[in-house]
Parts: sequence; C-alpha cells; structure tokens
Amino acid sequence: MRCTDCREVLGPYVDGELLLNEQQEVREHITGCAECAREHEELVSAISTIKEELVRHNAPDVLKARIRSSLAAVDVDRKQVTPKHTRISWPRLAAAGIAIAVISSGLTLAATRSHTGNQSAERAVLDSHIRSLMPGHLTDVASTNQHNVKPWFNGRLDLSPPVPGLDSSGFVLTGGRLDYVDKRAVAVVVYMRRQHVINVYSWPARGNSDEMPHETTENGYHLVRWRTGGLELWAVSDLNLSELEGFVAAFNAASGSTPSR
Amino acid sequence: MGQRDVDNFERIVLPHLDDAYTLARYLVRDEHDAQDAVQDAVLRALRHFDGYRDGDARAWLLAIVRNCCLTWQRRQQTDRAVSPLVDDLTHVRDPRETDARAIERSERAAIERAVAALPTEFREVIVLREVQELSYREISDIVGVPIGTVMSRLSRGRKRLVELLGDGAREAS
Repeated sequence: MRCTDCREVLGPYVDGELLLNEQQEVREHITGCAECAREHEELVSAISTIKEELVRHNAPDVLKARIRSSLAAVDVDRKQVTPKHTRISWPRLAAAGIAIAVISSGLTLAATRSHTGNQSAERAVLDSHIRSLMPGHLTDVASTNQHNVKPWFNGRLDLSPPVPGLDSSGFVLTGGRLDYVDKRAVAVVVYMRRQHVINVYSWPARGNSDEMPHETTENGYHLVRWRTGGLELWAVSDLNLSELEGFVAAFNAASGSTPSR
Repeated sequence: MGQRDVDNFERIVLPHLDDAYTLARYLVRDEHDAQDAVQDAVLRALRHFDGYRDGDARAWLLAIVRNCCLTWQRRQQTDRAVSPLVDDLTHVRDPRETDARAIERSERAAIERAVAALPTEFREVIVLREVQELSYREISDIVGVPIGTVMSRLSRGRKRLVELLGDGAREAS
C-alpha cells in the first residue's frame, strides 16, 4: 500500500468502516511507516477530542411538555372529527324530552344559561392553552422575573394581572403573553411545574362577586376557574388535579387575594 | 390513525428526543429555534408514521429533524419575530467555579464555536458521526448523499475543526 492511498482511507479506518482485508492492509502499512503512523495518531487524538468535547443536550422539559400536549391535541382533534357512535334509544330520548319540559323553570333556565356561558369560555380557554403549546406561542415576554412580566402588560391591556413569584412553592414563572379568548383580549401568565405548563388567564369579571375555585376536566386537561378582585381567572394544565389545586391556592395566597363567597 | 398508533409512536419515537434536540441545537444553533424545529419534526414524523416500517427509529427521526432544521433555518433568515427579554443574572459566572472547571468550560466553548463555524454540510456529518455515532451508511441515508461524499465531508470537516481549534489556541496565547 502506498502512503497516498493509506492517507485517503485513514478516516474510515479509524471509524471501522473499511472491509476486513482493507482494514488489514492499512494496519500493516502503518506498522511499517512512521509518517503514516504519526498521521494516524493525530487523527485518533483529534477524533477523541471532538467526541469528548461536543455536548450532548437533553431535550428541555418545556419541549417535552409541548410535544406531549400537541400529541394530546392530535387526540382531541381526532375525537372532534370522528365522534363516538352512541346509540340513543327512542323511548329514552322521549323520556328525556318530557323531563326537560317538566323541570324547565325560570330559575333552571338562568342557571343553564350561565353554565353554557362558562362552557364556551372553558372551550375557548382550553383551545388557547393547547395552541399556546405549539412552537413559538407560549410567551410573548419570556422571563422568570415577576418584575419583568407584570409591567409588560401595562398599556397592552386594561387590567393588571396578578403575577406572583411562586418559586418557593415549586412553580416557576416562565413569562406572559396576550391572547384572545371568547371575544376579548386577555392576559396570560405562564408557569412551569416540572415539564408541565400552567397557563393562568385573567380578564375583568362581569359583576363584583367573588367565586371559589371550581374544577373541570376535559380531554386530560384540568381547568380551574375562580373570581376574585374583579377578575375572572382560569388556570389550565395537564398537571394532576391536586397539584393544580395547590397551584391555585399558592397563587391566590401570594397575590393576597383569597376568594370568599 | 388511532389511539394505538399514537401510543406506538410515543413508545418508539419519543425515547430519541434528546438525540433529536442535540442534532437540532447543532444545526440551527439557537436553543429556541431548536425546540421549535424538533416539535415541528415530531409532528411531521407522526403524520408520516404510516411510512415508518421497523428499522432504526432514531435514524428515521433524525432524518426528519435534519430536514426540518434546514427548512427552519431558511425561514428564520427571512423573519425574526419576538425578541425575548433576558434576565440579567443568567450569564454571570459562578464565583465558586474552580479554575480547572473554568478551563474545561472554555475548551468546550472553543470546540462548540469551531463546530458552529463549520459550513452546514460539514457540521451535520460531524455531529451525526461524532455525537450520534451513526454509520456512514446511516449518515448517507439521512443526508441524501453517497457514502463516498460522507467520507470526504467527514474528513474535510475534521481537518477544518483541527485548524479552527489551532487558530483559537494561537489567538488565546
């Protein structure tokens, strides 16, 4: 083997990519040729430096959470496209119709109306939460510092959302964004717990009464809604429900507003 | 695609997320763009999961990540949207850091800079080989060039890296 041929295949030789007989030829050549042996040595050390020094990154938690949520959103989409076949028997439907006719009074009607109002807000908040997990939608202002996030909303909205620092309770402030939910611009403050994103929505409440936190679950996401200090607030996450309740409690305690009935 | 497909996808593809993210970090050279590119890639992989037949899921995913990164980079060159506020304290050196660690860190920074300075076609084969430890054949499939080209790009890429590191060392002394 000539030196020029040897130099040409030193890389694949070191990488173990040559055929057995070629591998053998190169090995024999470098044992007999000091020049090529030195070249080989240098290449081996360069490769080992490169291998050692190049960083292997771990996918950040927020990325995993975004991916998990967008996979869950794929499920949600599918459920919307292909509704489950539910068989409804005619007698039961008729019975239900009669029952509705009998119970309907002004009171229940009003209750139903406010309930559907919440349901449309719930749907809108959940959609927005899922959308926020898509690339580049989570935060407009990315900061773990409440003194950066809170003033960011000034002049952008006619309300000042609570932005408590909750590090000591294990919820890390991640940033804030503006969003459009249920036909109004709303403030969203974003927290993380492990790899889970928590979006806290707030907008001016209709009416002054406070309301205690109320939980609902939809497609694996938990939503907590409450009212305090003239604001309607929603916290949404795929975090387990008890931790999300803990979050809401910490959030209210730290912003100095505990809703009372 | 049913729930079982999504479950299968999660089981087969998601374990390679760290590798996917590492490749993206080297290709787009920005933490946030890398996250976006990987999320794009995973969703694209899910859409084309029917086309995946048992084989190396990692190489399959990395090929998609690579294509997403190249598309992403082209798009990013034309628009840059929101610039995030950076908290002041994130880049301050930890005073407890020992000198040995600081040196190690600066060596690492030097090689990271050198790799970042390589043209994309060299950078990708270097990362696929030295970090992901793929075979020439796998790299050739991912990049879409013949094995001979992988070989020569790898060899030129390594030479460039050694030169760049040499330059860096001379400047520093």
